[in-house]
Amino acid sequence: MKQPKEAIKLIRRSPYQALAAALAMSLTFFVSSVFILLIIGGQIVLNYIEQRPQVIAFFKDNATQSQIADLTSKVQATGLTTSIKFVSKEEALAIYRERNKNDPLLLESVTADFLPASIDISVKKAQDIQTITSMVQQDSQVERVITPQNLVDQLVKWTKTIRVGGIVFVSTLLAVSFLIVIMVIGMRIAIRRDEIVIMNLVGATKWYISRPFFIEGAIYGVVGATVATFFVYSLLLFYSPNIQQFLGPIQIFPISPLFFVYLWIAEVLAAVSIGVVGAAIALFRYLRIE
Amino acid sequence: MIEFISVTKKYPNGALALDDINLKIADGEFIFIVGPSGAGKSTLLKLITRETSPTSGTILLNEEDILKIPKNKIPVLRRRIGTVFQDFKLLLTKTVFENVAVPLEVLGYKESEIEKQVSEALDKVGLLEKANSFPLQLSGGEVQRTSIARAIISKPQVLLADEPTGDLDPKNSLEVVSLIEKINKEDKTTILMATHNAQIVNHFKKRVVNLKKGKIESDVKEGRYEAA
Repeated sequence: MKQPKEAIKLIRRSPYQALAAALAMSLTFFVSSVFILLIIGGQIVLNYIEQRPQVIAFFKDNATQSQIADLTSKVQATGLTTSIKFVSKEEALAIYRERNKNDPLLLESVTADFLPASIDISVKKAQDIQTITSMVQQDSQVERVITPQNLVDQLVKWTKTIRVGGIVFVSTLLAVSFLIVIMVIGMRIAIRRDEIVIMNLVGATKWYISRPFFIEGAIYGVVGATVATFFVYSLLLFYSPNIQQFLGPIQIFPISPLFFVYLWIAEVLAAVSIGVVGAAIALFRYLRIE
Repeated sequence: MIEFISVTKKYPNGALALDDINLKIADGEFIFIVGPSGAGKSTLLKLITRETSPTSGTILLNEEDILKIPKNKIPVLRRRIGTVFQDFKLLLTKTVFENVAVPLEVLGYKESEIEKQVSEALDKVGLLEKANSFPLQLSGGEVQRTSIARAIISKPQVLLADEPTGDLDPKNSLEVVSLIEKINKEDKTTILMATHNAQIVNHFKKRVVNLKKGKIESDVKEGRYEAA
């Protein structure tokens, strides 16, 4: 118990340096948490979109039920689809109303006549989207075909960008935290030089002298990761209604509190490693005793 | 027993601190190492604690060649040796009690055991009542006695005193060296005291090893020292 107490005493002796180190750690792991959540969220959105109908064919207003049924049978006959669902003008209106129920302006004067009937086609394999799309586009009764392929491609691109950007940004912040820990602990060693010399002369081992510095580095890690996880959790809790509204039907919330416990544990382990390795480098560089 | 066999120490700048020193110190002996500044007194003591290493030669402590001790075992060697410094080397932010307790904390003693041993050591040097004072609240003699208490707390075989009276007035100097003599007599601790205080050396009538320009100029039992 003596050495953790000693480490806390060290921190209290110059609290501003300690605050700088803990803040740098907090910022680093806060940003890391945000990127982790963005990447996971992006993946959930991607999965959701990939599971939706991949080809939607909108019919002209004058398309008859039999023409629609003919095209449906033709598509079904390819054997490339998992499901084909017909959405009538009335059903399209109902979906539209549901999605925009909180925005009366968008509901005003919209009737079933404004919305086209469609068929939603899900294909077995993503590479068959193009075949089915070409087939339905050739039908004279089809006015427009949309495939979410472009959206998926865009999302994949965005997720990749976020991942790469996150790695670069977080790596920079990690390096900054690392350097601050080295600097702060290096200063502590300089401040305690007399004490270290005396301890060395009375027979203290290098490990005994170094331990409080390692503990100090670890404390910065624990504090930084805890503050970061707490802020991310609080912010997500506060903004969850807005985020959910933005995502519409893609259900992300509620996120299990267990996820944040795992996130906290992972971040504490990473932050403690930075603190301890930073302390080790500072000790290697500045602790000159025999 | 401590033995120096043909020990030479040359500093990187070329200065010859010790030149072919041969010296035997028996267990429980009290030796004054005397000589003018720069004679090599402090270097001789620092070699025993491995604060510095000789350029050539051998140093034996209880027949063990201390120069062959690996770096990670140097702390173990130092626990067998107590050191008193001219500049005391006390921690100003710690009380007398806490300063004296440092060697025992380093050794991982329990708090109850530390309390007992520190009290005994402070009693021995006559500072029990000042246990909770800080070094800046003490007189020069008291500060040096605190340093002696810290040096003897782990019951070392050898006590090295490097100019322990250098910053003290004659009365305090006498008190401090008397205390060191008491430790030598009662605990049979081997004492090596580097000094250029002729008055003290001549008062205590111990073995005197006189160093000059890194060489032993004389080694006399119950010797005297005439400072230049």
